[in-house]
Amino acid sequence: MKALFLGNVAADTHAGIKDELPPALDCVILNDPVDRSLLPDAAKDADILVSNRWMADYPPAPGFRLVQSVATGVELFDMASLPRGCAVCNAFGHETAIAEFVVMAMLALHHRFFQIAGEFRERGSWATSWVQSGVPHGEVRGTTLGIIGYGRVGREVARRAAPFGCRIVAANRSPRDKDADVERIYPLAALDEMLPRCDTVAICTALGPETTNLLDTRRLSLMKPGAFLVNIARGQVIDEDALYAALSEHRLGGAAIDVWWQYPTPTEPNRRGSRHAFHALPNVIVTPHNSGWTGGMVRRRWDEIADNLGRFARGDSLINLVTTA
Amino acid sequence: MKVSFLGNFGARPEVAKAILGKVTEPIEPTVLFDIGDTQRLIPALAEAEIVVSHVWKPDFPEAPRLKLLQSVAAGLDLIDVPALPGGVTVCNVDGHEQAIAEYCLMTMLALSHRLVDIVTSFRAGPWTAGGGAGGGQPHGEIFGKTVGIVGYGKIGRDVAKRAASFGCTVVAANRGPIADKGDAGEIYPLGELDHMLPRCDVVVIAAGLGPETRGLFDARRLGLMKPTALLINIGRALIVDEAALYDALKEQTIGGAAIDVWWRYPSQAEPNARPSSFPFHELPNVLMTPHCSSATDGARDRRLGGVAANLDRFVRGEALRNVVLTT
Repeated sequence: MKALFLGNVAADTHAGIKDELPPALDCVILNDPVDRSLLPDAAKDADILVSNRWMADYPPAPGFRLVQSVATGVELFDMASLPRGCAVCNAFGHETAIAEFVVMAMLALHHRFFQIAGEFRERGSWATSWVQSGVPHGEVRGTTLGIIGYGRVGREVARRAAPFGCRIVAANRSPRDKDADVERIYPLAALDEMLPRCDTVAICTALGPETTNLLDTRRLSLMKPGAFLVNIARGQVIDEDALYAALSEHRLGGAAIDVWWQYPTPTEPNRRGSRHAFHALPNVIVTPHNSGWTGGMVRRRWDEIADNLGRFARGDSLINLVTTA
Repeated sequence: MKVSFLGNFGARPEVAKAILGKVTEPIEPTVLFDIGDTQRLIPALAEAEIVVSHVWKPDFPEAPRLKLLQSVAAGLDLIDVPALPGGVTVCNVDGHEQAIAEYCLMTMLALSHRLVDIVTSFRAGPWTAGGGAGGGQPHGEIFGKTVGIVGYGKIGRDVAKRAASFGCTVVAANRGPIADKGDAGEIYPLGELDHMLPRCDVVVIAAGLGPETRGLFDARRLGLMKPTALLINIGRALIVDEAALYDALKEQTIGGAAIDVWWRYPSQAEPNARPSSFPFHELPNVLMTPHCSSATDGARDRRLGGVAANLDRFVRGEALRNVVLTT
């Protein structure tokens, strides 16, 4: 049985789990994102693909029976190019890390942390301190957090935010049972009712037809003046131009952006994440799509992938099955 | 009832004005910002039944009618208790603990996730800091980590409650015995701090400054911490040996620190004074803030409201809240 580990994340995964894999599994590792010369030979008789993508213009891979994504999203797998009946599985383990990021970003935005710590470090400025009668900064206690997408990540965010004394509301596409942490779960169609209530909006939804451009100019203008936005989902959930305008004109108080509208390419590794200079706005916390990339997440995800490859080799039922091609 | 607001905190215009705006009982206030102005301090203290201040100096003039010293801070380290007349009740104020607990969680998260480094690097262009598709070393998280809280009072409990929801194991060390452990799994007597420190991934100093805590974190105790451990100090700077902490951070014998309380403070002559004689601001593994972890809008409202409520209680002859001691 042969497994193809394709791309740098898959190559790292192989290095992390090789001791846990079935001895009979023959592993081929291709981690060069540019050079595809070895791909046809590696793909033609592989049973398993471990990767974050399989594009329409990739060579034939008639033997794939398991496609194991190294990420949660499987939108970069071209289902039509996979053999009929091939199982497509994803991986989790990131929700803990991302929930930490969301709460951290919410705290940092309300506490004006980057501004205060930056001025103190660079210039020795005590201007924000009580010692010099500084203007108070915010806190999250008593504020309302709105979570768009109340799935694995959203629930983990709510569980952590609740002990801070936040009021928590959520919006979800499909009906969800309310739990002790949230006051109300709105249908996604009623998002317009939720937005004006929120001091912080955290986007934790998957990208799909209902969520593409969900936060456009009109909906961003429904948010409270000075409210904060945290996006760890996908860039395309927000209208790029509308968000830049709202932030640069200070209609929103600030944002934390981990996911982007465009990504680096092999030939342009430092490509900016947007056509707008979000990185130059002082009220925006920018991170390179790694809110979930903690050492703990990597280990949890490796363990899930190793578990699934072992299951496949033994003929046991798979975990994290997303779809069958 | 004569009330004297004193010093650069209690008599600060926005503080005194906000408290007076919340007081409902009739009082006669005097406000004296400069406590070095003896000509005005003598008559103010000669008459005052209540003083609102965070400071009481040994050389203060006679205060024969004083019954209540209401601090506008939690720490009483600037109040010289032996210098107070007999029969004075000293009250402090709370309402800052929620804000400070938020700061502690924010900084332990930011240090673990290497947030400042990642944001700074990404602002410049590269996607490679902190793991992910861009490569680079993954950053950390606090899930499953052990948080040790030194000083298990209101702040410590609020930190424990929040940290527990992140899946942290919480332990604490406290001077006096603790009846209700709250969210801490284990409470060490302060005398056994040396047993607690090697367990902790994060150490939060939430203690007041006193004889038992002054210099508590010396080079030896810092050496008991894990090489990856994070130190967060929102208590008082003098609990930590300045040179020993600088060395530990510079030599990376501990992982990093978030420091909000300092060994040096600004003066009118030197408003941008560096907060230490050591260049902590040159160390990459330090988050530093100008003693503002409690300076939130919510904490200010809760604290000033708490002072005003206590003044009203005193005027009405009701039991006071937040009584620390009576001389």
